[in-house]
Amino acid sequence: MIQEINTEAYDGMEKSGPMMVEFYSKKCGPCKMLSFVLKAIDKLNPDFRIYTIDFDENQELKERLGVTGFPTMLLMNDGVETSRLKGLQQKPAIIKAIEDIM
Amino acid sequence: MAEFGKKAYTLEDPYVVENPYLINPLCALVLFKTDASVAPTVTIKGKRFAREDMSHTFAAGTTHMLPILGLYADFANTVVISLPDGSSKAITIKTAAVPADVCKCTSISTSADYLQDNFMFLTPAGKNQPTAYDYKGDIRWFLTENTMFDIKRAQNGNILTGSSRFCRMPYNSTGLVELNMLGKIHKEFRLPGNYHHDQFEMEDGNLLILTQDFHRDTCEDMCVLVDRNTGEILKSWDYKTFLPQDVAGSGSQDPHDWFHNNAVWYDKPTHSLTFSGRHQDAIVNINYDTSELNWIVGDPEGWPQEMVDKYFFTPVGDVENFDWQYEQHACLITPEGDVMCFDNGQYRAKKKENYITNPENFSRGVRYRIDTKKMEIEQVWQYGKERGQEFFSAYICNVEYYADGHYMIHSGGIGMENGYASDKLGAFLSSADPTAEIRSVTVEEKDGIVLYEMETEGNFYRAEKLTIYHDGDNAIFGAGQLLGNLDVTPEFDTVAEAEEVEEQPDVWHNIIIEEDEDRFVFHGKFEPGTLVMICMEGKEENHQYFVNTSAVFHLAMCSGAFLEDDDRDVKMNISKEGLQGRFHIKLVINEKKYDTGISVYCP
Repeated sequence: MIQEINTEAYDGMEKSGPMMVEFYSKKCGPCKMLSFVLKAIDKLNPDFRIYTIDFDENQELKERLGVTGFPTMLLMNDGVETSRLKGLQQKPAIIKAIEDIM
Repeated sequence: MAEFGKKAYTLEDPYVVENPYLINPLCALVLFKTDASVAPTVTIKGKRFAREDMSHTFAAGTTHMLPILGLYADFANTVVISLPDGSSKAITIKTAAVPADVCKCTSISTSADYLQDNFMFLTPAGKNQPTAYDYKGDIRWFLTENTMFDIKRAQNGNILTGSSRFCRMPYNSTGLVELNMLGKIHKEFRLPGNYHHDQFEMEDGNLLILTQDFHRDTCEDMCVLVDRNTGEILKSWDYKTFLPQDVAGSGSQDPHDWFHNNAVWYDKPTHSLTFSGRHQDAIVNINYDTSELNWIVGDPEGWPQEMVDKYFFTPVGDVENFDWQYEQHACLITPEGDVMCFDNGQYRAKKKENYITNPENFSRGVRYRIDTKKMEIEQVWQYGKERGQEFFSAYICNVEYYADGHYMIHSGGIGMENGYASDKLGAFLSSADPTAEIRSVTVEEKDGIVLYEMETEGNFYRAEKLTIYHDGDNAIFGAGQLLGNLDVTPEFDTVAEAEEVEEQPDVWHNIIIEEDEDRFVFHGKFEPGTLVMICMEGKEENHQYFVNTSAVFHLAMCSGAFLEDDDRDVKMNISKEGLQGRFHIKLVINEKKYDTGISVYCP
C-alpha cells in the first residue's frame, strides 16, 4: 500500500509494525523514478505500508527525522527508524531493506 | 599515404600535409623519397634569431615521412629540410591563429640557453587545451582535443595522457592514451573503472593507472597495472584493504571520495608504491607485492593512535619551520629516497576550527627527507610559502625533480576574486566575471635561484618540460588500437510508465547521440528534476538507463573539461559492452515516451 501523507497524518497514525516513509520532492528526477520503483515493489508486496511525504512542504517533520535530502527512505519498525536509504535505489536494495525489518 | 603513393615526391617537390591527424594545428608531415639512403635533417626556423632554430635529424632511409613539429601559430613558418650531401629545400607553412579558448602566456622570464629545445607542456584543468610554450611564451603545440590530467613522456618517446572521451562525471575519461607529438593516437588503454589523475610507466613498459570500481559506493581509491601490449589488467590495488576510510578527513573529504587519489609513483629501490590521497592529507607508501602499509607522510592528527605509532613520522631538524602538507598533489620519490609533492595547503589543518582561509594560506613545492628506521622526517626544501596567496592553488598542480637542487613547481590552480584567493576552485570561476582571475604559474628553481617563471591564463592541471622531438620514432604509422574494455553501463531495472507518442522530443532539449566504436554518449537539455530515461529497444532485448537531471555539487573538480556551462545540459555514457544487435532509441521525458528516430547497431 502506498499512501501520500503530511506531518499531521504522520503524527496521528498508527505506527506499529514495519513500514517505510519516503521523503520526495516534486522538483527531483530521481524521486519521480523512485515512485515507479516503489509502485513495482507495492505490486510484489501490497501489505507492506509505504508512506510518501513531500520534503518541501513538511519542513519541521523532515528536520525532526533528520532528513537532509531527497529521496530518502526511512525503514521503521513500531515507529522507530531501523535504517535509511538515501538517493535513488533499484528494487533489490529496497526489497532487501524491507526484508530486514519484516 | 595513398596520395603519397600516387606520385614520385622528391626533396624538391615534397608532399606536405598540414595537421595530418586533425587535432594538432601546429604540425605537418613532409613526405618524399630519395634514391640513396640518407638521414634528413629538419630545421624549424626561429621567429626572431638563428639561435631559436630547432633541428632534428631522422634515421637514414629512402622513404622519408618527416614530422614537422613546433610551428609558430599565425605565422608563415620556414622549414628547411637538408640532406647530408648539402642539398636542401625550404618550404613555408602558414598556420592559423590559435583559437580564443587556448590560454596565452601572460608573462615569462627565462632564457633560450636555459630552456634549450624544451617546451613547457601544460595539461588543462578546464575547457582550455593541452598547450606547450617556448622560452618566449609563444605557443608551439596544442591539441584541439581536451586530453587531460597527467602528461608524461614514455620510454619510446610517445606521450601518455588522459583520453578526452567522457565517461562519467565529474572527470572520468574512458582511459589513458598514448600518442605522439603529431597528435596520432597509437593506443587507448580503456578501463572499466575509467581513468583519472595519473599514471606511471614501469621499467618494462607496463602502466600503473589510477582508477576505481563503480560497482561500489566510493571512488578514486584503486590503482591497476596494465599490460602495455594488450591492455589487460595484470594487478590491482584496493586502498580500502590498507587504509581506514572514516578517519582524518581533509576539508574536502566526503564519504564517497574519501581518499581522492591524485598521484602514483613506483620506487624501484624499495619496490614500493606511493599514493597521494588529497582527502586524507596523506602520502601513503605500500609494498608493491603485498599491499602492506609501510609509512604515511602527513599530519597524524585524527588517525588512530596505533597507526600513528606504526606508520607516521616525527619532524626533526628545523621543526620551527616545518609544515605538513595538506590536500597535496603529485607525490614522487627522489633518487635519494626523499618524498616530494605539491603541497596545495587547502585548509592547512585537520580540525575545522583551525582551518586557514585561502587569502591567508600558501601553496608550495616541498621535499621531505624520511628515515624509515627512526620514523623521523625533516623538511629539506620548499618553494612557494614566501609568495603567500598569489601562489596559492586550492587544487591540482605538480612538482618535478630534475636533480638535487633543481626542481619545477607548477601552481596551476590559482583563482582570485576581487584580488584575494577565491574560496571557489578555479574550475567554478567564470572567465567572464571581471572580478575573477584564473591563472597558472610555473617556476623552475636551481640551487635556490629561479631560472624560469611563466604565467598563463587559465588553470592547468600539470606542467611537464619536454622536447618536441625525441630520439625514437617520431612518426609511427598504422591503425590505432583500442585496448582493454569499458564496463557494462548499469541499467535501471524499472521502466517509468509513460505514454508512448510518435513525435520526437522538442528541439529545445537539443538531443544529440554521439557514437564511437565502443560506446554512445547521450546529450540533452532538461530542467532540473525532469524524469528522463533512455530506452534502447531491440528485437531480442531491451535496455533502459536512468538519466539524472538533478544539479550535482562536486567537492573536487580537478578537471572541469566535462563541466557544462548550463546546469541543464546533461550527458550520459552508454558502453556497447554487453549490448548486441540493433536498437531503436526512445526517450522518456516525464510522462511521455518519445521516439528519437535513431537506431544504433552493436556488433
